[in-house]
Amino acid sequence: MWHRSRSARGVLLAVGVATAASATLTGCSSPATQAPKPSAAGGTGGALVVGVTSDPDTLFPWKATQFQAVNVLQNIYGTLTEFDKDLNTVPGLATSWKTSKDGRTLTFTLRDGVTFSDGSAFDSKDVKFSLDKIKDEATAAVASASLASVTSVDAPDPKTVVLHLSAPDAALPSNLAVVNMAILSSDDTEASLNTVPDGTGPFVLKNRVPSQSLTLARNDKYWGDDRPKLDGIEFRVIPDESSIVSAMQSGNVQLAVFDDPLVARTAEAARLTVAKTPQLSYHALQLNGRRGDLGDLNVRLAVQCAIDRKQVLDTAALGEGTVTGPITAPAFKSNPDQRPCPTRDLGKAAEYLGKAGKGSGVTIKTIVSQGSYSTSVNEAQNLKAQLAEAKINLDLEVLESGAYVDRWVAGDFDAAVALNGGRPDPDGMYSRYFTSTGNLNKVTGYSSPELDKLFAAGKATTDQNERKAIYDKVSAELENNAPWIWLFTSYTYTATTSQVQGFIPMANGSLQYLRTTAVN
Amino acid sequence: MLQTVIHNRIARRLVSMIGTLFGVAVFVFIMLRAIPGDQITAGLGTEAAALSPAQQEALQRYYGLDQSLFTQFFSWLGNLFTGNLGYSARAQQSVLDLTLHSLPVTIELAVLSIILALLIGIPLGMLAASRPESPRDVFGQFVSLAGLSVPAFLLATTLLSVFASSFGFNPNGQGYATLTGDPVLNLQQMLMPALVLGFGIAAPILRTTRAAVLEVRSDDFVRTARAKGVPPRRLQTKHVLGNALVPIVTMTGLQFGYLLGGAVVVEQIFSVPGIGRQVLLGIQQKEYAVVQSTVLVIALTFVIVNLLTDVLYRVIDPRVRAS
Amino acid sequence: MTDFPQTAQIPPGTRRSAHRLRGLFRSPSGLTGLIILGVLAIVSLSSFLDLLPYDPIAQNPPARLVPPSSEHLLGTDQFGRDIFSRVAAGVASSAMISVIAVAFSAVIGTMGGLVAGFYRGFADGVIGGVTNVLFAFPPLLLALSLASVFDRNRFTVAVAIAVVYVPIFIRVTRGPVLSLREIEYVKAARSTGQSRVMIMMRHVLPNITSIVIIQVALSLSWAVLTEASLSFLGLGTPPPSPSLGSMIFEARILVSIAPWTMIAPGVVVVLLVVGLNLLGDGLRDTLDPRNRGKR
Repeated sequence: MWHRSRSARGVLLAVGVATAASATLTGCSSPATQAPKPSAAGGTGGALVVGVTSDPDTLFPWKATQFQAVNVLQNIYGTLTEFDKDLNTVPGLATSWKTSKDGRTLTFTLRDGVTFSDGSAFDSKDVKFSLDKIKDEATAAVASASLASVTSVDAPDPKTVVLHLSAPDAALPSNLAVVNMAILSSDDTEASLNTVPDGTGPFVLKNRVPSQSLTLARNDKYWGDDRPKLDGIEFRVIPDESSIVSAMQSGNVQLAVFDDPLVARTAEAARLTVAKTPQLSYHALQLNGRRGDLGDLNVRLAVQCAIDRKQVLDTAALGEGTVTGPITAPAFKSNPDQRPCPTRDLGKAAEYLGKAGKGSGVTIKTIVSQGSYSTSVNEAQNLKAQLAEAKINLDLEVLESGAYVDRWVAGDFDAAVALNGGRPDPDGMYSRYFTSTGNLNKVTGYSSPELDKLFAAGKATTDQNERKAIYDKVSAELENNAPWIWLFTSYTYTATTSQVQGFIPMANGSLQYLRTTAVN
Repeated sequence: MLQTVIHNRIARRLVSMIGTLFGVAVFVFIMLRAIPGDQITAGLGTEAAALSPAQQEALQRYYGLDQSLFTQFFSWLGNLFTGNLGYSARAQQSVLDLTLHSLPVTIELAVLSIILALLIGIPLGMLAASRPESPRDVFGQFVSLAGLSVPAFLLATTLLSVFASSFGFNPNGQGYATLTGDPVLNLQQMLMPALVLGFGIAAPILRTTRAAVLEVRSDDFVRTARAKGVPPRRLQTKHVLGNALVPIVTMTGLQFGYLLGGAVVVEQIFSVPGIGRQVLLGIQQKEYAVVQSTVLVIALTFVIVNLLTDVLYRVIDPRVRAS
Repeated sequence: MTDFPQTAQIPPGTRRSAHRLRGLFRSPSGLTGLIILGVLAIVSLSSFLDLLPYDPIAQNPPARLVPPSSEHLLGTDQFGRDIFSRVAAGVASSAMISVIAVAFSAVIGTMGGLVAGFYRGFADGVIGGVTNVLFAFPPLLLALSLASVFDRNRFTVAVAIAVVYVPIFIRVTRGPVLSLREIEYVKAARSTGQSRVMIMMRHVLPNITSIVIIQVALSLSWAVLTEASLSFLGLGTPPPSPSLGSMIFEARILVSIAPWTMIAPGVVVVLLVVGLNLLGDGLRDTLDPRNRGKR
């Protein structure tokens, strides 16, 4: 029987070899993955571990749209202007800016003594390089449309940059504050930045293990008055949100941002501190004005009147949010009570349908994305139930997010249940959708001379009160014509363990205040 | 004569393996293109609608989507032979590098799961077979039924939340540690996922062991050995288990192959950066090269494991060897 | 490619299967399986007959996350939906998906196995090749990719799962068909000039029914698990239609604050799979000639 026992050993031997092989392979190809150990020793503010469900899909700031990528890159790169915690536009790499009398030139004075993380100095050459490249369509930068009004960029001296505009653009300073407008060094290329970021932000990339972790270290040469306190930040990928809560419970992770109220509730139950921040992003039912019955204003208004938004919010999103009009930025907020039918009015809805000659009802093919955010399908269900009572039949198509995006981009839908990102400036937020030249107008299918005029006027003045009045009119125009049905905004939930101090969550979801955060 | 027969057999087997792999390549290539969306829309979401035609073109060129499907397929396939499995724009790493990270992780997990499964399955199977229909047999049946019936994700979720919330034990919440970097932490992190997977695999192993032991025991040579006065315990371990080894090895090989892609749910829950997750991420991000090459690597491993199982089976099966 | 030791034994007897099924009631595991499945069937039947206490998808915000009570037997979920009603409907939907999936794969796989084993040659080569490819493809990832190809509904999810199980049916039937082909009365039938299709249907197919039935019972339990795993990864039955897998997926984040949301669907999915496994065991005990008389 000797051969049998040998075979048995053979099995074990094979197992041993496999394990050893896996050990060497893992060993030689993996850079040090040691997490910064949360400790007060060594630095002033310790090291923070942030739990995230996925890692950035790109490290190139001009192409980053994924939430995670934006959050990481915001801490590495700098922009000419920045937002403060209330979303006011404040100086960033530019210490000040001035608009000419005719509004057609915008002159920036740049900050002194700023360096990129590779050691090279920051000056106007880098700004000109960056803005020109972002405008260049071959770069495929996602924010290029925000520079549509910029005809040319001059750099008369190292500390001055002049933007020449085709028309006044009051929204420009605020549009420059996003990481998609990051100022890159003119020596860098997309290919090099994809692996080695080179920014002027408060942190620098220290180490990255794809789909596992991304670690930042403090940039000691950062220009800001709030010098970053943390020695390092690790964004640790834990794909499952409930596993993140478990990891926070066991103290391995100290900070995480959730958008699902249920996860937030579990985090609270796990004795973590949870802060609720209202968001600029909004939930809406987008109607496609180019499709069938929806071209008729009366049909759209019937939909507008047949929906109790509070009910959608309560049933689909656990009541966690606020009913909203189009503009969600605090400084320009629309008043949702001023829309036609601020409360549900089935009588009016029937009247509008009658006016449209559709007394017997209409059917609207509606696309719903599954999996991209937690409330989508439930919202759609509730909208369907409510509209059915007004003889409006929402024909729901629940699509996997890839299929949803395909259909949305092609404008192939009557209506879409959507969660849209908001912006601090209403022009940046809506002119792309609702002006006749907007680059997303092909999807919304609605514009009007009035709206074109209003958006132009809003850009022509820098006076805050005047702008507020103009965008109130924009809101009214949008609600009265109901190209979309605005529903509600929700919150993000920042969960922290008791060691974390000084973090300020923002309404645009930004993690920029990691630079003021410390871990005890 | 015999030599050529064997050579022919190996040659035919190799040809069939290559054919299979080619089939997998074609299949995964076509299927990926059939999934709605591409890498551009996967990255940008609805923002993709804002791209101007020139931007759209630039991105297509960047991701290599401007080439015909035919070119895409054969340039991918051609590159494979030079060891170039493609490049992941998301990870900024070659697929080969990604795979060299993730495959060993999954293999380690699979090996540990199988070891646990064998440690649970074989003794319980022998115990159950030692006295059919006694309480110990019922117990064995019960364990195997539980292993077959409790979904891995249910067990995984329950384990994780119970241990993390009640005992504060959550090695998986720390960043993944490599086996060489920090073996102690690594093994702790592998413990729960390997238990979950191992419990599932223990069931078929237990059943196979039980059936094999019962079958072998009724065979003539065991009866002869017993008549010769070989002590029962020795008979049990050496003769009976020795012969039962064949189906157990076969079963183990099968399960190992299954684990390569089947561990994805458990990898996801316990944040184990294995190869299943690599494919899942690739599908989500529409990174064609990542999914194609990784699936092919999994298929190759599966085919090789099958081959090894087969060889092993020929080596240990006395009947096959005799012929 | 893979020459796993295959059982090429032919279960004798053709139309006696029905009689032998009665033996199922005498096998303890078969009987237990039948009882469990029977209870679950009655519960899920109530969802088809509109006998559920609540609408499984109707949301009722005031009654959110209510623990089990006399009003809500198994409590409610985060939308105030009655968990008992959802579990009942979920069993129905899981069962339906796996039945459709397994029916598909059994029919296609058995046909494939029949043709491959009976005609041999080219057909065998092609079918064998396809089987090898499907086997080498990681099963869950295969279902996952297929499920993302189509607009998702119960039927397409079932088809995605079916593709995974087709090769198994091909493989378990091909071997026996190969041996049956050489058996005297089949040879005799051939010499009388009956058409090949006739011979396959008349003489070969009935002889492999036992194998197929056993495999069906086992595959049903796997299909339930696969569907649940897909739902868990967000690629199964689209919400809000309840599925056991997606209920567990949603409950996973609630388990610490509302454990009942997880317990009910968890227990039921285990029961369902246990029932199917026991039934499969029972069938094997009664139908499989290798097992008969052994236990």
